[in-house]
Amino acid sequence: MSNPLRDPRDRRLPKVPGPCALVVFGVTGDLARKKLIPAVYDLANRGLLPPGFVLLGFARRDWGDGDFEQIAKEAAKKGARTGWREEVWQRIAEATKFLPGSFDDDDAFDQLAAMLKDLDASHGTGGNAAFYLSIPPNAFPTVLKQMERTGMADNVQTNSWRRVVVEKPFGHDLASAIELNGLVDDVFTADDVFRIDHYLGKETVQNLLALRFANELFEPIWNSHHIDSVQITMAEDVGIGTRAGFYEGTGAARDVLQNHLLQLLALTAMDEPVQFDAAALRAEKIKVLDAVRLPKDLASYAVRGQYDQGWLAGERVNGYQAEENVAAGSTTETFAAVRLDVDTRRWAGVPFYLRTGKRLPRRVTEIGIVFKKAPHLPFSKSDTEELGANQLVVRVQPDEGVTLRFGSKVPGTTMEVRDVAMDFLYGEAFTENSPEAYERLLLDVLLGDAALFPRNEEVEASWRIIDPIEELWASGGEPELYRAGEWGPKGADEMLARDGRTWRRP
Amino acid sequence: MTALWDTSGSAVIKALSAERRAAGSVSSGLALTLVAVVDEKLVAEAEQAATAAAAQHPCRLLIVVRRRPDAPEPRLDAEVSVGGRLGPGEAIVMRMYGRLSLHAESVVLPLLAPDAPVVTWWFGEPPHLIAHDPLGVIADRRITDTAASTDPLAALRMRADDYAPGDTDLAWTRTTLWRSLCASAFDSLIGDVRSVTVTGEASNPSRTLLAGWLGRRLDLSVGVEDSAGPGVTGVTMKVGDDTVTISRTDGSTAILSRTGQPDRNLPLPRRELGDLLAEELRRLDADEVYAESLETFSGLTDLSARPNRRLHVWQDPMEASDPDPALTTS
Repeated sequence: MSNPLRDPRDRRLPKVPGPCALVVFGVTGDLARKKLIPAVYDLANRGLLPPGFVLLGFARRDWGDGDFEQIAKEAAKKGARTGWREEVWQRIAEATKFLPGSFDDDDAFDQLAAMLKDLDASHGTGGNAAFYLSIPPNAFPTVLKQMERTGMADNVQTNSWRRVVVEKPFGHDLASAIELNGLVDDVFTADDVFRIDHYLGKETVQNLLALRFANELFEPIWNSHHIDSVQITMAEDVGIGTRAGFYEGTGAARDVLQNHLLQLLALTAMDEPVQFDAAALRAEKIKVLDAVRLPKDLASYAVRGQYDQGWLAGERVNGYQAEENVAAGSTTETFAAVRLDVDTRRWAGVPFYLRTGKRLPRRVTEIGIVFKKAPHLPFSKSDTEELGANQLVVRVQPDEGVTLRFGSKVPGTTMEVRDVAMDFLYGEAFTENSPEAYERLLLDVLLGDAALFPRNEEVEASWRIIDPIEELWASGGEPELYRAGEWGPKGADEMLARDGRTWRRP
Repeated sequence: MTALWDTSGSAVIKALSAERRAAGSVSSGLALTLVAVVDEKLVAEAEQAATAAAAQHPCRLLIVVRRRPDAPEPRLDAEVSVGGRLGPGEAIVMRMYGRLSLHAESVVLPLLAPDAPVVTWWFGEPPHLIAHDPLGVIADRRITDTAASTDPLAALRMRADDYAPGDTDLAWTRTTLWRSLCASAFDSLIGDVRSVTVTGEASNPSRTLLAGWLGRRLDLSVGVEDSAGPGVTGVTMKVGDDTVTISRTDGSTAILSRTGQPDRNLPLPRRELGDLLAEELRRLDADEVYAESLETFSGLTDLSARPNRRLHVWQDPMEASDPDPALTTS
C-alpha cells in the first residue's frame, strides 16, 4: 500500500529515505573526513535523514563509539556546508557506532553482521544498510568476500535492502574493470551497486540535461548541421601532492579522462532519454559511448604531457619528476588531450576534443560547444574581422553557469561586429549554495535512485575507449614536457591546429 | 545606496539603474520580484527576513510601507540599494504617504523585473480581501501570515473564503517539517488508520491546517487537543497495532515514540521567518495541497477551481466602516 501522506503534488515534502544504517569502511581516510561525514551532517541539518538512521564506522583503530563520535564531530564541524546546530549533531551522535577491525578479520565481520541485525531493534533501522567502500582498490576483494561469507550483502537473506557504494578507480583497464564488476555484482545485485563519480552529482551536470531537454531553443541546433566541434576541459592548478603512489601507475587518462570526461561527453552527446530515470539515461549514455570512435591516426590525436617546473599563481612549483616518491624518468602523463568522434548521424564530422591536466593555470571544468560560422554574412569582411564562432559554454566548476557568446555591433557609425558574452550564473538566479555533490549522491544512494551513477556497462564501454590509447602510450615514447602554469604541451595546440581549430581559453 | 526624499516613481527607476551600473551587475539572473507590504514598526524585521530569503533566491526586493493615508499631501520617500545592507540583490524600500498609499501599484509596476514572477507578502495583519490591495492583484503568488493576526482562526477562515490559486500562508509553511515527519513515520506503518490527534495551542492556525491535511489525506476526522504550546506540540497516530507519537514541547527537539521501539530524538526547530519565506519562494505554482487543507477546515469545496486572477475591488479606508488592514498600516 502506498503512503497516503505522500502526494506527488505536495512538493514541499522532501524525499526522505527509509530507515537505514550507513556503514563506512575506511572511515579514518581523507575522503570520509572531508566529504562523507560533513555530507551526513548537512543532510541531517536539512531534515533529509530518516529517524532510524545510524552511522557506523569500520576501521583498524582501537576506538570506542565515543572516540569515533568526537572525531566525526570535528570533521563535520570543519567540512559542513550548512550552519552548525548542536542539536542536529546530538541526534547523529546518539546513532554513531564504531567497530574496530581489519578487513581480513573474520570475527570483526561476524560482529558487523550481528550488529546490523541488532541495530534494527535498538535504532529501528529496519535492517537496511548501505556500505560505503572508502578503501584502496586492492582491499576490495577481501572486503567483498567477507560480505559474501557473512551474507550481509544479500537482500533476501537479510530481508532488507543492502547497497554498496564504490569510489573510482573502477579498475585500471577493461580486463580489470570486468573482473572488479564481476566481483561486486556477484556479491551484490547489479541494481544495488552505486559507483560514485562525484562530477555527476554537480548541479550543473544535471542542469545540462535541463538546458538541453527542457528548452526549445537548444536541442534543434544540437547536431552536426550547426555545431562545429565540442571541447571538454577539466583543468586543475594543483600538482599530484602526496598521491604519487597512486598517480604513478595511473596517469591523467585513467584518473580523469576515463570517467569524468567521458561521462560529460556522453551527457553532451546523448539523445533525449525516454524519461528521466536511471535505466533510460543509462541506455542513451551507453549508445553514445558505444558509438565513440578513436581517430585512425591515434598517435597524432592522443597527446600526453607532463608538467615541468615553473611558476603558477605567483609561486614557484616543482616539476612532476621532482615530486615526492616519483621515479626519475617516469613516463606517467599529467596531461592528456584526445580527439574522439561519435559515429552517429547527429554527430557525423563533429570532433570532440577532451583535455585534462594538472598544474594548468587555473581550476576549471567546462563543456564548450563551438558553433559553425554563419553560412553567409551580409557585412563586408572588415566589418566582421573580430567576429568569432558562436559558443555555448557550460561551466561545471567553479562559478557554475552557462555563457553564450555571440556577435554584436560595436556602438558607433561604422558597422563593426564583435563577440560579446552573455552570462548566466547559476548561483545568482537560484540558491546561493547548491548542495555538495557528495550530499546529493549520498541521499540518492539511501533513496535507491541510481540515475546519477554510472553502471558497469558504462565503465566497461569507457575502458574500451581508453585502452587503445594506453596501449599506444605504453608501446614507447614519453610525454611531452610543459611548463607548470601554461595550458598544456605544444602538441595539444598542434593537434587542434591540424584541424584548423584552437582551444578555448577557459 | 541612494536615499531619495519626497521623490517620484521615475526618479526611483533612474536611481535603480544607476545603482545597478555602479554595482556592475547589469545582467543578473533575476528569478522573481518580491513585494513586501510592511507596517513601519516591522520594517527592520521584514528587511532581515527578506534579506535571508533573498540570499537563497536572488530577487528584486520591493518593500512598501504605507504611512498615514490621512496625510494631506501624497509623498514618496525611497531608499535604493544594490548589493548593500539588504543582501546581494536589488532592494528598494519605499514609504508612501497620503493618498499615494492607496495607489502604491503606480510606483511598483514599473519596478517589477521584466517577465519574472511577482510574489507579494503581507507582513503583519493579513488583508481581509486580497483584492482590496492592488499589490495583491498584480502578484502571481500571495503570501499572508494568519499567525500574525489578532484573531488567527478568524483570519484563516477569511483566507479560505478569499482563496484563489496562488495564495499561501506562512502558518501552512510552518507545518512542513511536521508533515515531513508524519509522512516518514507513515512509510513503515501497516494497517488501518484508527485515529489521529493533533495537539497544540488553541488559537494556532498551523495546528488547524496540519489537522486539516491529515484528515484530508487519511480520510478521517482528526481530533485536536489544546496544550500550552509553543505552536504545535504533538501528533499521535494509531495505525493497525502501532501507535506513533511525535511530541515537541520545547520548540526545538521532537521525541518520536513508537510501539515496540526505543524513543528517538529528532531536531524539529521552529523556523525563522527568513527560512519560511525562502521555502515559499522555492515553488511558484499554486499549492493545491494547502487548498485542500483549507477546504477541510472551512467546509468549502473546489477552492482550486477558482480563477487565479483577482479583479481589484476599490476600498477607501478613510470611508470604509471596516477598513482592510492591508491598506491601513501606520
